[in-house]
Amino acid sequence: MNGHVTPWLAAYHDGELKGRRLRQVEAHLAECAACRAELEELQKLTTLLYESPAAEGLLPAERFVAQVGLQLERRPTKPAWQRTLETGWRLAPAGLVGAWAFVQAVFIVAGVALIVLQVGGIDVLGLSTVSHSETWPTAILDWLGVGFSDTTLSVLKTLDVLAWGLTLYLTATLAIALLYWSWLASLWARHRHQKLQTQTS
Amino acid sequence: MAFPFLSGLKYTTPNPNCNSRPTLPNKITPDRVKGVERTANEVGRQPALPEETEHKLIAQAQGGDRRAFGELVRCHREGVINVVYRMCGDVNLAEDAAQEAFIRAWKHLPNYRPRSPFRNWVYRIATNAAIDVLRRERETVDVDALPLPNASTGPEAAVQEAERSARVKQAVLELPEASRTVLVLREYEGLSYKEIADTLGIPIGTVMSRLNYARNRLRESLAPCLEDL
Repeated sequence: MNGHVTPWLAAYHDGELKGRRLRQVEAHLAECAACRAELEELQKLTTLLYESPAAEGLLPAERFVAQVGLQLERRPTKPAWQRTLETGWRLAPAGLVGAWAFVQAVFIVAGVALIVLQVGGIDVLGLSTVSHSETWPTAILDWLGVGFSDTTLSVLKTLDVLAWGLTLYLTATLAIALLYWSWLASLWARHRHQKLQTQTS
Repeated sequence: MAFPFLSGLKYTTPNPNCNSRPTLPNKITPDRVKGVERTANEVGRQPALPEETEHKLIAQAQGGDRRAFGELVRCHREGVINVVYRMCGDVNLAEDAAQEAFIRAWKHLPNYRPRSPFRNWVYRIATNAAIDVLRRERETVDVDALPLPNASTGPEAAVQEAERSARVKQAVLELPEASRTVLVLREYEGLSYKEIADTLGIPIGTVMSRLNYARNRLRESLAPCLEDL
C-alpha cells in the first residue's frame, strides 16, 4: 500500500480514530512493517511510562482531607438579598421575552379592534370630539391656513392616533431590546471574568 | 483487529475504544467513567462518585459547606496527586501542589459551572498549581537532581528497575511544561484528546502536536530503555 499512515499512528494508538480513517490505518498496518514498527515504538513508550511507579508514602486520605480543610478560607454564604438578585438576573431573559410578547399582543389586538370598530362606525377613538388643535396633522394644516373636508379631517385624526400608537410600540420594543442586549453583554463579561480567574488560578 | 506483530508484546489490547493501550498486571486500575475506559497507574483509587451525587456535593460546597467539599477532595485526591506527581516527580511537592490545587478550587468554586466535568476543572487547577510549586521549588532546591529511588539497595534487577524508573521520571520532568501536562493527562490519566483540550482550554490540534512533541522527545531520551523492553 502506498503512503504511510505515520501522522495518524499516535491518534490510532490513543484510540482516537473512528470509521473510515480507523479502517484505513488498520488496513495499512496489516501490510506495512515500517508503520507497525513505529506503532510498536509508541506502545513501548506507553509501557515504559506505565512501569514508572506511582507516588508512594502519601499521607492517608483522611489526614490529607483534614489538612486541606484546615487551610480553607471561610466563605460566608451569600446573603438572601444577593441570592434573590442572582435569581432575578438569571430569570431576566424570560421576563424580557414575556414583556416583548405582551407588547406584541396588546398592540396587535388593540390595533385590529380599533380599526374594526372605527370602520364599523363606532367612534371608539372619540375622533368626533377632538378639536383641530388637539392633533398635530390638523394643527399644522390650520397653522398653514389650508382648508380640508370632514373626510380628510377624520383621516388626519386617525393618522395622529396611529402615529402615537406606533411611537409607543417602537419605544417599548426598543427598550426591551436594549435591556436584553445589556443582559447579554453582562453575561459575556461575567463569563470572561470567571474564565480569567480560573486561568490565573 | 488482531495483528500478528502484537503477539510478541507483553500486553494486550483491553478496550475497543482504545486501539493499543497496554494493560499491565497489578499496576493499572481501569476506571470506567461515562463509558470511557480510563487507566491510572494507581492501586485502589477512590471510585468515581455518581454524577448526581457529585453535582449535589458541588452545589452544597458552592454554598459554603466544607463537609461536602471534603467529600469532593476525598474522591479526587488520588487523581489530582497522580497528575501533580507526574508533573513534579516528587511526593512531597506533589502533596503540596495537590493541597494548593484544592484550596484554589475551594476559592474559585462559586465560579464553577457544571458544563464541563468537575474532575477536568480540578485537573486544570492542579496542573497550574504543580507548575507554580515546581517553579517556586526550583529557586531553592535542584529538583532535577532528585535521588534515584531505592537504587542502592536490593537485588540487581530491582536496582535496574529503579534506575529505569528514575530515568523515565527525569525524562518526563525535562519536557517543557506545556507538553508535559498534555502527556501526563493522556498517558497517566487516560484522558481523551477532547477532554485534554477542554481541561486545558486549548484546541485539539494543539493537544496532538504537544503530545507528539513530548513523545518524540521521550523516544530520543529514553532510547536505551526502550531497546531493553
